Amino acid sequence: MNWRLSVLVVAVVALLGVAIMSTQVPPATVFKTLFEGSLGSASRISDSLKEITPLLIAGIAVFVALQAGLFNIGAEGQLILGALSGVLVAQRIPGAAGWVLGSLAGMVVGGLWALPAALIKVYRNGHEVISTIMLNNIALLLGSAMVNGPFKGKLSGAPTTDPLDKGSMIPALMIGNLRISLAIFVGLALAIGIAIWIRKSVRGFELRAVGANLRAAEFAGVEAKRVMIRAMVASGALAGLAGSFQSLGYEGRFYPDFSPGYGFDALGVALLAGTNPWGILPAAAVFGILNKGSSALTIEGVPKGITGILLGLLIIVFAAVRYRESKASGS
Amino acid sequence: MAANVFVVNTLVMTVPMALAAIGGMFSERSGVMNIALEGKMLMGACTLALVGAATGNPWIALGAAMVVATIMSLIHAVLTQIYKLDHVVSGMAINALALGSAKFLSDKFLDASKQIAFLPMEVFVGLGLLIPFLTAAWLRWTRGGLRLMATGSDPEKCRQIGLEPVKVRYESLIVTGVLCGIAGSAIVTNAGQFGEYVTAGKGFMALAALILGGWRPLPTLLACLGFGVTQALQLQLQGSHLMGASLPSEAWNATPYLVTLLALIVLGAKNRAPAGLGKP
Amino acid sequence: MSEFVVELRGITKRFGTFTALDDVSVKVRPQSLHAIVGENGAGKTTLMRVLQGILKPDSGTIIVEGKEVHFLHAEDAYAMGISMVSQHYSIIPSLSCIQNLMLAAEPGAVINYTQAKQRASQLAERLGVEFDWDASAEGLGPAGSQKLEILKLLWRNSRIMILDEPTAMLSPADSTALYENLKKLAAEGATILVVTHRLPEVMTYCDEVTILRGGKWVGDRTVNETDVNELAELIVGKALADLPEHHPPKAGRANLSIQNLSVKGHRGDQAVKSVSFELNVGEVVGLAGVDGNGQKELFQAIVGVTPAMGGTIKIDASEEPTVAARVRKGLRLIPEDRHEEGVIDDWPLAENMVLGFQEFAPLADGRWINAKEQRMFADRVLARFNTKFSSPDAPIRSLSGGNQQRAVAARALEFDPKVILAFQPTRGLDIAGMRDVYMAIRDACDKGASALVVSFDLDELLQFCDRVLVMNRGQIYEPAPDMARDRAELGRLMVTT
Repeated sequence: MNWRLSVLVVAVVALLGVAIMSTQVPPATVFKTLFEGSLGSASRISDSLKEITPLLIAGIAVFVALQAGLFNIGAEGQLILGALSGVLVAQRIPGAAGWVLGSLAGMVVGGLWALPAALIKVYRNGHEVISTIMLNNIALLLGSAMVNGPFKGKLSGAPTTDPLDKGSMIPALMIGNLRISLAIFVGLALAIGIAIWIRKSVRGFELRAVGANLRAAEFAGVEAKRVMIRAMVASGALAGLAGSFQSLGYEGRFYPDFSPGYGFDALGVALLAGTNPWGILPAAAVFGILNKGSSALTIEGVPKGITGILLGLLIIVFAAVRYRESKASGS
Repeated sequence: MAANVFVVNTLVMTVPMALAAIGGMFSERSGVMNIALEGKMLMGACTLALVGAATGNPWIALGAAMVVATIMSLIHAVLTQIYKLDHVVSGMAINALALGSAKFLSDKFLDASKQIAFLPMEVFVGLGLLIPFLTAAWLRWTRGGLRLMATGSDPEKCRQIGLEPVKVRYESLIVTGVLCGIAGSAIVTNAGQFGEYVTAGKGFMALAALILGGWRPLPTLLACLGFGVTQALQLQLQGSHLMGASLPSEAWNATPYLVTLLALIVLGAKNRAPAGLGKP
Repeated sequence: MSEFVVELRGITKRFGTFTALDDVSVKVRPQSLHAIVGENGAGKTTLMRVLQGILKPDSGTIIVEGKEVHFLHAEDAYAMGISMVSQHYSIIPSLSCIQNLMLAAEPGAVINYTQAKQRASQLAERLGVEFDWDASAEGLGPAGSQKLEILKLLWRNSRIMILDEPTAMLSPADSTALYENLKKLAAEGATILVVTHRLPEVMTYCDEVTILRGGKWVGDRTVNETDVNELAELIVGKALADLPEHHPPKAGRANLSIQNLSVKGHRGDQAVKSVSFELNVGEVVGLAGVDGNGQKELFQAIVGVTPAMGGTIKIDASEEPTVAARVRKGLRLIPEDRHEEGVIDDWPLAENMVLGFQEFAPLADGRWINAKEQRMFADRVLARFNTKFSSPDAPIRSLSGGNQQRAVAARALEFDPKVILAFQPTRGLDIAGMRDVYMAIRDACDKGASALVVSFDLDELLQFCDRVLVMNRGQIYEPAPDMARDRAELGRLMVTT
C-alpha cells in the first residue's frame, strides 16, 4: 500500500471516528445497534431483505452498463417508472398473471426510459451521465404527477395508487416471522445468471471488451455501437424490474417517495463490486443492511446520515484502491 | 402587484441556480466534470443554517458556508487529480457524502428553537446577477480567464506550452466551492429553514443550465433565468384559473430537464462541451 | 563571440536500455537555416528536446552564445530565447488567433487586447502575413496554423527557433512560402533549426545540414557542397551484409486487392489518394515511407474501422462490409498502437489472445465460450515466440512491451490467415525477436497468406520483404523493377516530391 492510499484510509477512518464520537454513543454500541437493527430478529431480517432486493437487481443493472463502459446514473428513474407501471398493470389483471405481466411492464418501461440516453450517447456523443440525470428528474416528476393525477387512488387522500390485491402480488415464503419474497430469489438467479453470462458467453465477452477498450473492441470486430445501445437498454430494463419487483413484492402500491434512492445506492453497489459480478450480492447486502440498521441507530441518537457518510467514503476508498491496483500491476 | 411577485419569485428561483452553474462552469472549463454541484450546495446550505443559528451572525455564517463547500470541492479536486478517480464516481461519492453529512449534522446539531441569522435575500440576488457578468468579463479580459479556457479545451497542448492544468483545476475548484457555498446559503435564506431536501435538485438544474448555456457565463445565466421563470410561473398559477393552471406542477418543474434533453438530442453535447473534460 | 550560436557537444540520452542519442554533436552558425535530417527514430526530435530543456541529457554539454548552459526546465531554454514549433501544433481551435498567440506569454494579468493586436499585427507584417485576430483558430488550416506558430515564437522574442517537420502538413506552395519567411527571419537575426525528412527543401533553402542515423551523428554538410543522392545515402546508410535469400512470390491470385481507395484524414483532408495495389498469394510486401503520409489511414480503412471515401477493398476476391466479416475472411492485424487498438491492458493474457477470434470454433460453441479451448489456444499462441509471462491469467499489462508485441504478432498468425496487416510489427523487439516475427509472417505466406508490412525502417523492409512500396503524401509508388531493392532510389521516393 503506498503512502497516498494510506493517507486516504487514515483520513476516512478519522472522519468516521469524529462523526461517531460527536454523537457520544460508544462505537461498540453503534456497531451492535447496526447489526441487531438489521439482522437481530426474523422480522428485521425480512425488512433487510426488502432493502437488499432492489439494490441487488438495480445493482446488476448498473453493473451491466458499467461493464460496457456506460454510467447508468438513470437507474433511479428507470426504477421509479418500472414500479409505477408494474402497479398499474397488476391492478388491472387479477391473480398471478398480475405480477408476472406487471414485472414485464416494468422491464419494458425501464428499458424504454434508458433508450434515449443510449441513443444520445451513440449518435450525438452526449454524455450518458448528463442525459440520465435529466431523465431521472423527469421520471421522478412524472411518477409524482401520475399519482397526483390520473392514477390517484380512491381509498386515500394522499397521492398514492390504491393498494394491490394480495393475489396479484409476488408471493413470499413464510418461515415463522421470516418473510422471503420470491423477488429475492429471482434477484439471486439474475445475479448468478449475469455472472455466468458475462464471463462465459461470446456476447458477454464482447460487452466487456467494449467497456474495457472501445477501440480495441472495434478492431476485434465488435459492433461497439450496437453493444452499447443494447447494454444500456438491458440495464434500464433490469432497473425497471427492480422497481416493479419492489412495488409488486413488497410495497403493494406506488407513491412518489417510493424509492429512498435505491437507484443511486445501486451505483454504489456496482462500484463496490467493480469488475467482479460475484461482488454484487455482498455489496447489495452491505448497502441493504446499513440502510435498515440505520433506522435503529436513530433511536440510539446517531443520526441516519451516518450511513450516507459511510457509503460515500466506501465508494471513494474502493475506487481509489482499484485504480492503484491497476497501476501497480502495470509497468 | 402580481407582476412584482412574479419578478421576485423568478429572481429568487434563478439566483442559486446561476451561482451554482457558474461554479460548475469553472470546474468543467478546467476539465473536471462536476455532477457534485448539488452536494456542494447542500453542504453550504447546511453550514449556513448551523452557523447562522449558533452564532447569530449572518456574515460569519455565510463565510463558514463558503469554507465548508470549498472543502468539499477541494476533496473533489484531490480525488480526481491525485487519486485519479473517475469524475463521475467521485462526483457521486461527494453527493452521497454531502447528503449523509448534511442529514447527520442537521439532525445532531441544528437547534430548531434557535433563530438562524439571515442576510437579506437582496444580497444573494445581487451576487447571483453580478457574478455571471464578472465571470464573463474575467474570461474575456484576463490572463487567468484565457488560461482557464485553454486548459478546458486541451490540457495536453497547454502542458506543451508550459502551463499547468492541474494547478488551474485546483484554483477553479476552489471557486466552484465558494460559489456553491453562496448558492446553498441563498437557498436556505429564501426557505427560512434547513432540511436535507432544501436544494431540491437545483444543483442538477444548474448543470442543465450550464450545458444549455454552452459553458458560457451569460447564456448560462439566461438558461437559469428561463428555468426560474418556469418555476415562478408554476408558483403563480397554483390555485388560479389561468391558462396553464390545469397543468400539474410537475410539468413545470420538468421543463428544464426536458429542454436540456432536447438540446442534447438536437445539438449534441460534444461540440460545445470543453474538449478537455475528464482528460488527465 | 563564438563562431557558433548553439553548440551541442557529445550529447548522449538513454531511455532505459535504449540509447536514443549516442555522443551527438551539432554546431549551428548564427543567422543560418540549419537542417537536421534522418529517418524516424534517428534521434532528431530527442536532440531538439534536449536543446529545448524538456529532456536532460545523460552526458554532453550545451553551449548557447558561447556560454555553457544547464537547462532544468523548458522555461530555462525559453529564457535564453530558444523555442520550438512542434510537429503537432499547439494551436487550440476553440480560442481566437490572438488568444492563441499570447497564451502562456500574456502581457499582463489583465489583457489589453487593442495593444496586443497592434503588436501582433506588427509581427505579422514582418512576416508578410495577415490575420483576422478575433477569428477562431479553428478555421486556420495547416498553413495558417504554422504561420501562427511562428508568430508565437516572435511574440516570445525567440532568437533560436526550432521547427520540427514544419512542412509535414503543408502543400508545396505553402512550404515554399514558409521557407521564404524563415529566410527573412534569419536575415533579421534569428537562427533557425529545421528538423525534416524532405531533402529538396534542405537543398533549396537551408545553409547547413546535420545527418543523424540510429541515434548517432553521421555527418555535417554545407548544402552547397552536397547533393540529394549523397544525403539520401547518408540517411539510410549502407547495407551491412548480404541479404538472405528471398522466396520469389508465387504469381497468381491476389489475396488482397485495393482499387482506387481514398480515405479521409482526421484533419478533413484526403489522407489516402485513390491508391491501387494487390498482394499476391505468398507475398510479403513492405510499405515504406515517413510517418504521417497516409499509412495509418490506409491501414484503418483496410481493417474496416474507418470508412473509405471511395474505391474497393477485396479480401480473397470478396468485398466485406464489417470488421468481423473481414476477420472471418482471414484478415489479421498487428495494429499500430498496441494499447489503443491491439490489446485490452487490464485483461488477462489469455483473453487478449482470443480477442478477435471470440466467435471462432472451437474457442466458442455457438453462443458460449469454451474456456478449456481458449486456454489451450492461448498457451499455443504464447508459445510460438517464447513470450515470457507468469500466468495466462495475469493482465497483459504486466508483460514487458517486447513480450506484449510478441503475443500480438503471434495472435495474428492464427486461424489460417489470408491477409496479415502489420504496422511496425517489430516495434520494441530485439533482433532475434524481429527475425522470429518476420520468419513467422513469411511462414504463413508460404502457406498461402499475404502480408502488408508498414514500417519506417527501410533496412528492415528490404531485409525481410519480397517487394517494397513507398507511401508519400497519400500516394503509393512502386520503384522501377531494376531499382526495386535500391535503397537510394527508395529513399528518394520517400523524401522527394
